[in-house]
Amino acid sequence: MVEAFAVASGKGGTGKKTSTLALGMALADEHDVTVVDADTGMANLLFHTGLDDATVTLHDLLVEETATDVSTATYDRFGLSVVPCGTSLAGFEAAEPGRLRDVVADLASDTDVLLLDSPAALGSKSAVLPVVLADRVVVVVEPTIPALSDGLKVQEYARSYGTETAGVLFNKVRDDAADVAEQAERHFGGPVLARVPDSDVVRAARRAGKPLLAHAPESDAAARYRRAAARLDVRDGDGGAVADRFRSAVVPDTP
Amino acid sequence: MTESADGRTETKDAPSLRIPRGTLLRSRVVSDVATTLSRALDRGLTGYATLVPQETLLLEGDARGVLTFADGVPVLAYNTVTDRGGPDALAELAVPGPYRVELYAVDDDRLAAAHEEDALRVAPGAPATELADDPALADRTRDAAPDERVAGPGTDDADAVAAFLADDDRIEAIREQARTEAAERADEWGLDEALADDADENLGGDSDDDLDGAPPTAGDRESGG
Repeated sequence: MVEAFAVASGKGGTGKKTSTLALGMALADEHDVTVVDADTGMANLLFHTGLDDATVTLHDLLVEETATDVSTATYDRFGLSVVPCGTSLAGFEAAEPGRLRDVVADLASDTDVLLLDSPAALGSKSAVLPVVLADRVVVVVEPTIPALSDGLKVQEYARSYGTETAGVLFNKVRDDAADVAEQAERHFGGPVLARVPDSDVVRAARRAGKPLLAHAPESDAAARYRRAAARLDVRDGDGGAVADRFRSAVVPDTP
Repeated sequence: MTESADGRTETKDAPSLRIPRGTLLRSRVVSDVATTLSRALDRGLTGYATLVPQETLLLEGDARGVLTFADGVPVLAYNTVTDRGGPDALAELAVPGPYRVELYAVDDDRLAAAHEEDALRVAPGAPATELADDPALADRTRDAAPDERVAGPGTDDADAVAAFLADDDRIEAIREQARTEAAERADEWGLDEALADDADENLGGDSDDDLDGAPPTAGDRESGG
């Protein structure tokens, strides 16, 4: 295990899932990468990875408790290990947060890079857990005031739990927004990792149910995500120690 | 608030907003300004809306906005508290949460003179994007805008974002509010033990030198009972 990143945005519609999978696939060139769909509010990583037929998901581990071994909910797709959330969203709030921590700890002992696709909202314990558990957070925004406000908010939440910002990723960038990213950089605790333009190829990949880097690996957007992944500068860590840290992280029992 | 529309606070240099009083169409508190903007767009309204954000924590009550429309498309933005106009006003008004909104109709020719004030102009789609966070409505508004409004000076959607990012006090207020909220919720959720040791004290600064980026562990804080 090297490092766990939460990919978070604070609001929906910023292209967070596209970004998580693109960063994951780019990092997979050098690392063993596991992507966890911890976005219990909008679990659609399934459709981005052609996993809509997955039989065992995070939902079964955390809510139904019909599965106990995380390996049964881990699928190899596009060179990544993917743990889908499951589409039965009802009841996720009832999931015991400690279970997610345990799942993350199990995964951490067996992979290099963990990407936790985090819920867009910050309104519940299970929603903040990915930024609590992660080593660093990647903040995904689009160049609008609401998205930047929410991105800043996520950053402060993460910081409150000692999780620093790895960088900020701008999606849906229009031509005129280029210098806005530069201007934004000083407000975030990490560099601008990429400015990904609003493009048809990104939308087409989503429609095709494929990660961008699989659907259009030669596209400009894919190249930008690869550079973003390179800029993340993944840190070395002791796999066992990281897993132990997750296991011992303070997560209260649900009353 | 109606008087603010034609009450026109005079300032020395900056252009102020001078518009005639209109006919009140509706007055209400909306949770989402998209409601107001799409209503204005759909009825092709020429007139103005007064917008008073109900969010007080971030603003200290210093935003009362006027947004004018020509044939349903936003033209000018003005904050009657700060006397700023255009993208600056839009940035000041872009806060989450409900607004008290009044919508007025004005005869076309009575707004024409005011609408020539370029310094107060905003890009047609910018209010939908920045106030309502509604990209589809922004697209619809741009589609309805005359050609000269979607290209050329004063048509840059990013101007309001740039104004927002230049407002360090506002950014700091957002961050401070988020820190306070995070601490309160951590307490509520029983996650306060997971808070970084300096999360409470380090409210003011950017210095993170003493943070290692790792979540604290139970062992770090074992009190021993």
